[in-house]
Amino acid sequence: MDADAELMLRVVAGDRAAFASLFDRHHRGVAQFAFRFVGDRARAEELTQDIFVKLYRNASRYRPSAKFTTYLYRVAANHCLNEVRRGEYRVKHLSTACEDDEPLETPAPEAHRPDHQLAARELQSAVGRALAALSTRERTAFTLCRFEGMAYRDIAEVLQASEAAVKSLIHRATLSVARHIQAFQAGADEPLRSRA
Amino acid sequence: MSCDLESELTAYVDGELSPQLTTAVRAHLAGCAACRSTEALLRGTVATLDALPAFEPSVGLRHSVMERLDAPPSTLGERLRRWLPPSVFLPSAAVLVSAVVVAVLLTSGSLGHRLPAELRDSQALDVAMNYDVLRDYDVLGVDNPDDVEVVAQLDRLEGGP
Repeated sequence: MDADAELMLRVVAGDRAAFASLFDRHHRGVAQFAFRFVGDRARAEELTQDIFVKLYRNASRYRPSAKFTTYLYRVAANHCLNEVRRGEYRVKHLSTACEDDEPLETPAPEAHRPDHQLAARELQSAVGRALAALSTRERTAFTLCRFEGMAYRDIAEVLQASEAAVKSLIHRATLSVARHIQAFQAGADEPLRSRA
Repeated sequence: MSCDLESELTAYVDGELSPQLTTAVRAHLAGCAACRSTEALLRGTVATLDALPAFEPSVGLRHSVMERLDAPPSTLGERLRRWLPPSVFLPSAAVLVSAVVVAVLLTSGSLGHRLPAELRDSQALDVAMNYDVLRDYDVLGVDNPDDVEVVAQLDRLEGGP
């Protein structure tokens, strides 16, 4: 049994410190997933709170036969998918890209130059628009793969889909994002039509 | 897509193919300029995404979560108010206020005793006015057993069959 699963079993027994340890180990990944999924900093933090509170309150549903990170991201993905569905009611006017006046987080050393910061911010916005153009399942699979570094097999468990389906989702999503980035770098607003 | 193996290229770049398929794709790339171009595009995209700065949550996030663990779970009414947009909630609230005013007027007069019990309860009115939304378990993400029971009994609460 992995360390996370052991911690989770302690959470089931009511151990608050074990929950704090799980939070410390995984909250950045969950927040990053939520941010890439909804494209909004404040909502990503709200969602991260919701996901961890839900994880704590429903700890008894966890079965150690499931890999903890798979379980955690299934909770996270379902919560974000529900949030996006509710977005039909209240979120469609919100930006899906990184807001222009927000500072970049954990920038690379060379990113301290103003021109690099501007370019990085614009690229973040372009990636945000590209992600917003994906279907929710494509976005989930793509985000778990590209930003969380999950293997296709684990993503298939999160999405409760076959590995072949995940491979197809990630391929379509990566090509779509690639075209958006290519168009952004070429100075066009819309993706260029390519063979791929 | 003119090449059968084009759909394997992302998994190839990600190192997710079986050894046999990896060998087949590698051999194909040697003779297909179009797929080599797509592969280069995919590798460039993966590298670009890897270089993006990571999202860093605020330092207060941990405190906010730990604080919420002690708070009682939100009620169905609270969640409805949080989820419904002003364009839906405000008119509903206006109708609710009107209904409550009418109910108060009626209950203070001789007609009050004729109202069904459900309509004297503001929570029941809230449920009735948001009936369509409440029926959608997915939209609500209902997981509290009490809330599930409320949703399961909506037809009865609404006075339906």
